[in-house]
This record gives sequence, structure tokens and C-alpha cells, in this order.
Amino acid sequence: MRDVYITGVGMTVFGKHSERSLRDLGGEAAMRAIRDAGIKTHEIEAGYCGNALGPVLQGETGVGQNVFWEVGINGIPIVNVENACATGSTALHQAWIGVSSGLYDMVIVAGTEKVVMPKGQVLDVGNGELEARLGEVFPGYFALIAQKHMEKYGTTREQMAKVSVKNHLNGSLNPYAQFQKTFTLEEVLNSPVIAEPLTLYSCCPNSDGAAALIVCSRERARKAGSRAVKLRASVLATGTYENHRDLTTWEVETRAAAKAYNIAGLGAKDLDVVEVHDAFTICELIHYEGLGLCPLGEGGRLIDEGLTELGGRIPVNPSGGLLSRGHPVGASGIAQIVEIVWQLRGEAAKRQIKDVRVGLAQIMGGNKEGDTRACTIHILSR
Amino acid sequence: MSKGAVKTANNNKMDWIAVHPGLFDYPVKKKNKVALKASRCSRCGETFFPERSYCRYCLDESQITNITLASRGLIHASTIVYVDAPSGIKAPYAIGYVDIPENGVRIFALFDSCDRELLAPGREVELLIGPISMDTDGKKIIGYKFVPAQRKGFCI
Repeated sequence: MRDVYITGVGMTVFGKHSERSLRDLGGEAAMRAIRDAGIKTHEIEAGYCGNALGPVLQGETGVGQNVFWEVGINGIPIVNVENACATGSTALHQAWIGVSSGLYDMVIVAGTEKVVMPKGQVLDVGNGELEARLGEVFPGYFALIAQKHMEKYGTTREQMAKVSVKNHLNGSLNPYAQFQKTFTLEEVLNSPVIAEPLTLYSCCPNSDGAAALIVCSRERARKAGSRAVKLRASVLATGTYENHRDLTTWEVETRAAAKAYNIAGLGAKDLDVVEVHDAFTICELIHYEGLGLCPLGEGGRLIDEGLTELGGRIPVNPSGGLLSRGHPVGASGIAQIVEIVWQLRGEAAKRQIKDVRVGLAQIMGGNKEGDTRACTIHILSR
Repeated sequence: MSKGAVKTANNNKMDWIAVHPGLFDYPVKKKNKVALKASRCSRCGETFFPERSYCRYCLDESQITNITLASRGLIHASTIVYVDAPSGIKAPYAIGYVDIPENGVRIFALFDSCDRELLAPGREVELLIGPISMDTDGKKIIGYKFVPAQRKGFCI
């Protein structure tokens, strides 16, 4: 396997883009990534585009060809990727396979999505699953997980709410974030209950937006000099759907993280910045545990001690996370990588963390039989 | 009725449709107890709900037998949801996981109650088959729910 680098990143502002199309958003992100890498489009040998819900919400398929043609890319192999919330990061995983295998020297990855729903409606991902027909909605499933974590470890509503307060503060420092305002603990706790114990500001918004990356070999990364970031590990795993699984942890996440740490020759203690899938506040606490930032059951303690704040020992979701930056499903996994690259290069402006050498991005998505369909872990370093 | 409400190809002329094919017999005959239909592989011992025609592990249809799950369950987890479900179920409603100890399976379920005390983990529940919402044509959608065993009478 060859070493793989990221030399260009770009994204749109996340939020409500009712007048813009999937290809328009994706094209803007791709253009920014290409310009950031300082390359010509004819150098790109393959394209991977993530989009999760276009076929359901916009009635649009083949989004990747549309997005890449916006920036003049045609003729080369283009792959459309869907893996629920891990769609964008799965597209990156495919790109990593393409470059590390030696098949390609330079490829482009994009993720684009439009999922802003009318006020008061939860995301409708179709009625294919029995659970959905019986009333399962995303906040409901994660509320069940929160209930079990509270029952087993004594995790409190306040600890969960602190995740939202922290991430909205970070997002207010990120011009690409959907939310540009901060919330107090009381505002999070007293916002309307969506599913016990999760309140409105404990849930990420549905968002429109896109993000893109240029991925290449060591040889091609040389031109980018110190702005090139090394992709140390790229792992994709699927849940086991075990019928009596412990809802307070995701075995697929610990398994994927262990594999990624092993490939990178690094451990949780080496991380300087982390982006996780905080679709709901409880998720971030469980991901602290799953990634080994703290022992099982101690996610609440970690947030209480302030260690995951911007100035803490291991800042988590400096971008604002899904909670504040927003969650355009197919783009979120790539936006996490964009943030880690900015942090590693020292380009994160007001939210820049000091001395960042190693970063990790974790995202997962899609409920199946109470487990997760897809989980990816990416580790990057200077 | 929300836009995404269940729309099921329906060839019966009844005023109801099943939430999912093959979960239970309906209408329930007087002599029979309400029950969910499942399958068991006698080679590996695995129980499947909903029922299926071959074992996922043995990849064999000859050892699969149709069974019904016990109607008594114990709540593993529950939550009350305060937003309408895209499938048409109106808020507030409660969902969660129910263990069926007799069959060794855990299933996802709607509850016929929004009482936090009665829905606490470990509480006993009883299966109920009946309407859970309406489809876009105004037909009753028949599904399953679990009702707290401590409560007398059903409120559907």
C-alpha cells in the first residue's frame, strides 16, 4: 500500500440553500478543493461523490457525474457512493483504496446533500424498514441509547447538554457553520423535548451543503509542500446487528478505531484534535468512550472536566460538529476531514488549536436492527 | 396525514392494511391468542422475527419452522417521542425494545402507553394487535403494540 495525502480541501457554508441544487453546491466545494490544491482538473484521474438522500428527496440519481461536470471533469471513472451518514467518508475510503493501491495518483472526493425539512418535520428516509413503519425516528433511536447510558452509568441530562453548549460555541467561531450562535446549558435543557431525554438543541439540524477533497500519492503531494496532509489510516466497518447488543456502546466503532490505530501506529493518547458524529449529544459522549479518549461509561466525566473544549487536552468537534456546523448527510464526513486538514495546517482561524500534529475523524450512520450500518475512522497527520 | 405516510399496495377491499406483510394473522380469530409470527432454525437454534423462509446462518430452508412468539415481554428500553413519525403515527407516542424471554429475542416495538413509570426497563408488557395509524387513503394501518401488563384494558 502506498502513502496517501490530501492536498486540497473545500466546502460551502452549511445551512439552508433552498434555491441551490445538489450539483451547484457540490460544484462549488469541488472548485474550492481544486483551487486549494493548486492543480488542473486534467490531472484528476477518478472521482468519488457521496450523496445519501438525493434519490429520495430530490428524485435525482447519478449526482456525482453532475457535480464533477460543474468543474469540467468528464471522461474519467466516476463513482456515486451512498452509506447513510458515513456516505462522504466512505467516498474518501474508496479514494484511499484507489490511490494507495497504485491505480491512481490523483483523485477527487465530494459530498453534496440537501436535507432541510419543513419546520417541525423529522427527516423521512422512507418506509423500507419495519422499525420506521412502527414509528422509529432518528431522535427516538438515540433517545433509547441515552436512556440506557443514563441507566447503566448515571450519565446526566446536564452532561449531555454540555456537548451542545460546547459545540455551538465552537461553531460560532466557524464561518462555515449553520448555527452562528451560542446556547446556555439552560437553553439546551429547556428547549422542547423531541424524544425523552433529548431536547431540540440536543439534536443536529438537517442541512444543505457540500464539501470536497483532493487525494493523491506522495509523489504528487510534493508540489503542495507543507500544506499536504498525510492520510495515515482509512477504515470502514459495518455493524453486526447482534440482537441483544449493548445499546450504550458501538462495537463497530471500537473495532474500527482499533484497526485504524494499528494501521497508523498511533493511539488515542497521540491525538491532538478529533471530529466525531455528534448527530445527538449522547453520541459524542459514547464516541469519547468508543475511541478510547476515556474508559467506558466516563464520557460524562470527560465533558464535565472540560478536556474536550477548544482549550482542553483533546478538543473534540472544534468545527462545531454536526450539532452546530450542520448535517448535510452525504457531505458531513468530508467536512470533518476539511476541518482536520485546516487544523493540521494552522488555517482554522479563531478556532485554531495549538500544536496540532495528529487528528482523527469518526462518523457512522444508518440504523439497522438497532445497530449501525457503516462506521469510518480516518487518521491524519502533518 | 403526513406526506410520507405508509402507502401499501392493497388488494383487499377491507378498511385496513397491515403495517408489514406476514407479521401476524388478522383479524384475530376468537379462539386464537394474538401472536407475532416468527421462524426458528432447528439446526442452529436461531429465532428470526419477522419470519423468513431460510436460515440466514445455515442458508437452509429445510430446517426452518414457523413459530409464534410468546405474547408476554419485558421492556429493555423505552422513550416517549414528541414529533409525528413520517409513517403517520401521531405524537406523543412511545417506542422501545421488548425482550421476549421465552423465545430469546429482542424486538423493536411501539407501546400503547406514554406512562414513564409503566414503561420503565424490566416492566412487563403484553402484545396487542390493532390500529397504529391511518394511511393516505384513510385506511387503518394494523400493527402491533405492547401494553403495560399492570394496566387494565386497552386504550386503542
